[in-house]
Amino acid sequence: MASPQKSMNSQTSRLALFKLVLLGESAVGKSSIVHRFVKNTFDDMRESTIGAAFLTQTVDVPEKEITVKFEIWDTAGQERYKSLVPMYYRGANAALCVYDITNEQLFERAKDWINELKKQAPEGIVICLVGNKLDLEQDRKVTQDQVTEYLESLDGSENIVLSAECSAKSGDGVLDIFNRIARALPLDQRIQEWAGGAAGTRSRSSTYSGRRTGGVDLGRGDRQLRLLLLSSCC
Amino acid sequence: MGPYGRSERRPSMAERRPSVSYTPPSIPHLAGLEKPQDPHLKLDHCDVLILGTGLVESILAASLSWAGVEVLHIDQNKYYGDLASTLTVEQIKKWVMEVNQGRINHFQEAQLYVPGGSQTNNFCSKDYGIDLTPKIMFAKSDLLALLVKSRVYRYLEFQSLSNFHVFENGQFNRKVSNTTKQDLFTDQRLSLTDKRYLMKFLKFALIDIQDEEKNKLIWDNAKTPIGEFLKHQFKLAEPQINELVYSIALCSKELTKAPEAMARIRRYLTSVDVYGPFPVMMLKFGGPGEISQGFCRSAAVAGTTYKLDTRLIDYDQDKMIARFSDGSSVKIKEKLIISPTQIPPFLRAQYENEVVKDLQEFYVTRLTAIIKRDCHQWTSDHETSAIVVFPPHSLPTDNNESVQVIIQNGGSGICPVGESIWYAQLIEQDLSRAKLDLQLALDKMQMTILKEEEEEEEIDEQPQQSSIDAAMDDVDYDDNLLKPTDMIMNSGVTPPSPQIVSSSFKLGDELNSFTPKKPLDFVCKLGYVQKTYIKPNLVNVLLNANESNNIIYKTLAKNPNVIFSNMPSAELSYDGVVSETKGLFSRVTGSDEDFFDVDFEDDEEFGDDDDDTPAHPNASIIGNGDLLSQVPPENAIESDDEDDDDKHHNDHHHHPFDVDQMEL
Repeated sequence: MASPQKSMNSQTSRLALFKLVLLGESAVGKSSIVHRFVKNTFDDMRESTIGAAFLTQTVDVPEKEITVKFEIWDTAGQERYKSLVPMYYRGANAALCVYDITNEQLFERAKDWINELKKQAPEGIVICLVGNKLDLEQDRKVTQDQVTEYLESLDGSENIVLSAECSAKSGDGVLDIFNRIARALPLDQRIQEWAGGAAGTRSRSSTYSGRRTGGVDLGRGDRQLRLLLLSSCC
Repeated sequence: MGPYGRSERRPSMAERRPSVSYTPPSIPHLAGLEKPQDPHLKLDHCDVLILGTGLVESILAASLSWAGVEVLHIDQNKYYGDLASTLTVEQIKKWVMEVNQGRINHFQEAQLYVPGGSQTNNFCSKDYGIDLTPKIMFAKSDLLALLVKSRVYRYLEFQSLSNFHVFENGQFNRKVSNTTKQDLFTDQRLSLTDKRYLMKFLKFALIDIQDEEKNKLIWDNAKTPIGEFLKHQFKLAEPQINELVYSIALCSKELTKAPEAMARIRRYLTSVDVYGPFPVMMLKFGGPGEISQGFCRSAAVAGTTYKLDTRLIDYDQDKMIARFSDGSSVKIKEKLIISPTQIPPFLRAQYENEVVKDLQEFYVTRLTAIIKRDCHQWTSDHETSAIVVFPPHSLPTDNNESVQVIIQNGGSGICPVGESIWYAQLIEQDLSRAKLDLQLALDKMQMTILKEEEEEEEIDEQPQQSSIDAAMDDVDYDDNLLKPTDMIMNSGVTPPSPQIVSSSFKLGDELNSFTPKKPLDFVCKLGYVQKTYIKPNLVNVLLNANESNNIIYKTLAKNPNVIFSNMPSAELSYDGVVSETKGLFSRVTGSDEDFFDVDFEDDEEFGDDDDDTPAHPNASIIGNGDLLSQVPPENAIESDDEDDDDKHHNDHHHHPFDVDQMEL
């Protein structure tokens, strides 16, 4: 079983915040994958209120001396009746499109979600097509060849589309997904942005493509919850 | 127990009350595979059904869900936000058509003007987010506190707004820009005497506000218009009164009485320096529509089921079964909450006869224009938004009411960079007059921005006579007015034609002599009228709200489980929204005790701060009366209430201007 990657809080490393969204039909195990990644537990049915916002977890990318912090947005069930709020997609840097390797129909639906992403999500979003329930290999219905064929059909697409398989139940392959996504993200661009004057800012706005004009930080990580004018820290 | 073990949590109201069977909220995002969420599981019951995903309904859905109530939240539209939505241009086109077909209750007379064809007016509909009911957020307000407490703020991006302009004598005065101590008090135009009087007033407004004598003075003037009050009690000069009343308090010198206006002045002054040197914040990407989405997401996390593009087509009161347009049906165990724009046909007659019949209606007329210029001249550096107020009688139409305009440029994420959206509104009840007032206000702004822009350009380039002559020929003012023929949608319903008196333009002195070289280009203009039963001073929401004056407390004889929510008020800020939601929450659960009574765990980002969390500076604002709660009841004034209010104000009081230390 893969061991979870806890935040290393590397002192020298710079922290880059990226928004990651989950997509896929209900019950494919989207949440379980994230739960495994963030908490390294599987069947923790604890009633949690953390979800009021989103989960976060970091991945170190030592070769770039950068720590990627994922802000992970779950669908909260809004995918069920195709009722995801538009803000869900906004500013997303990466997406997991999850299917269940034992169910071909769910694989087809994951493809639909990828099409939806291309319509709704920002340009350049990194997409990872994830087959879950690898622990049920004996019931596999979706083959690697099918996935490869689909990815090839996407050639020429503007997005980076990765593929992976994992088991949220055993933990196999979960960490690898996030490690690969972290390395597919535009880290160099972020480093350049920092060099361009926004160094050290941990503001959320720097994550997103939007302009920073007049942005106000309502207290992310700031215990005093003081709003900071970004202009004063740039 | 490991670090992620089951945490202690105070049982919610629903759990504590034995009368209500408690269903633990399902938290789908953390559900494990042992108990997968079955996609084919038929939703067959819920406690509460909410129709419409407007701001109040969305906050309600989230608050109920977090209190353990099972909520089904539907909307007849394909988008979130309902009457408070943030829409693209294409969505607006459809909306206008539906309004004029009478399909969107409480909205009327919608007009959309999109100049030029696709060749001359190229735009991408999706680049725009047009708020149907735009609002501004004071830094010290109950909604902001609720956003923080509920963690919904983390879905949102905030931007500061510090420029309030008042249009006077044909020009925009910028006295209130950057409202800092220095700007307000070192205004060179103020005489020493005026400065002293102003200082005295600010001390009165901000220091020792629970002082009996002070309050006596305010309540003794419960019927005195604020203009008179400031003039006679504080000897303030006209310009300072205008500034305090129109831009700071966003109210009227003649119509607003002293106590309400004082609360409004305090609202502004106490908001400055709470989070920075600005009183107001705007949300990026849209206002109420964005907040609605945030609360809907929070509600979904707590277990609310969402279905868009779905209508309620039947409700059987006896069996408590609701049937929907998608063919499904659900048992509603407790209440149905219905937005005023989504009242199903079978309940309309009851709504008209039993709910709104005896209530006074108020019309808010709105004119929204998307301009192909940014208006950086009116915003502070690093800011994207500003407020412009046209006080009563400042326009050639001799307007009775203030025209209030929110300006947001491309940096606010609601339009492309280099463009801006102007949201103008007023509460004039003569609707043809209202439209004319709005049009003229927009025209003044248009001339002003053109003038300021040309002045910027002409620093090193003098205009040539010929170009001005040419411009005279080019400019067709009528082009910028809404005309019945501007309706691009043929709805089959002829909208009442607005009175357009283009010959009556009387530009102010400053603008009179100005002729723009080229007209301002618009992406589109949108005008419409909205009806509400909330009084403009919010008295029937913030104070004494009851079944005789507020929709949410009315009960239908035949359908006692049905509750209606209100249309948004004419108030420019979000004041009243939280109070109304709490009212609805109480109607469902019996009290507002559990309204967002949720102790959210801190995730690791906050984890290190556990020791400090109880000292959340804003959490305590929740549950307070609103800033306008000092509005006296219409007949009697309960002194007890006053005391409470004042204590309360005092608790959270701070002195943004350090007025007590200021000496002249």
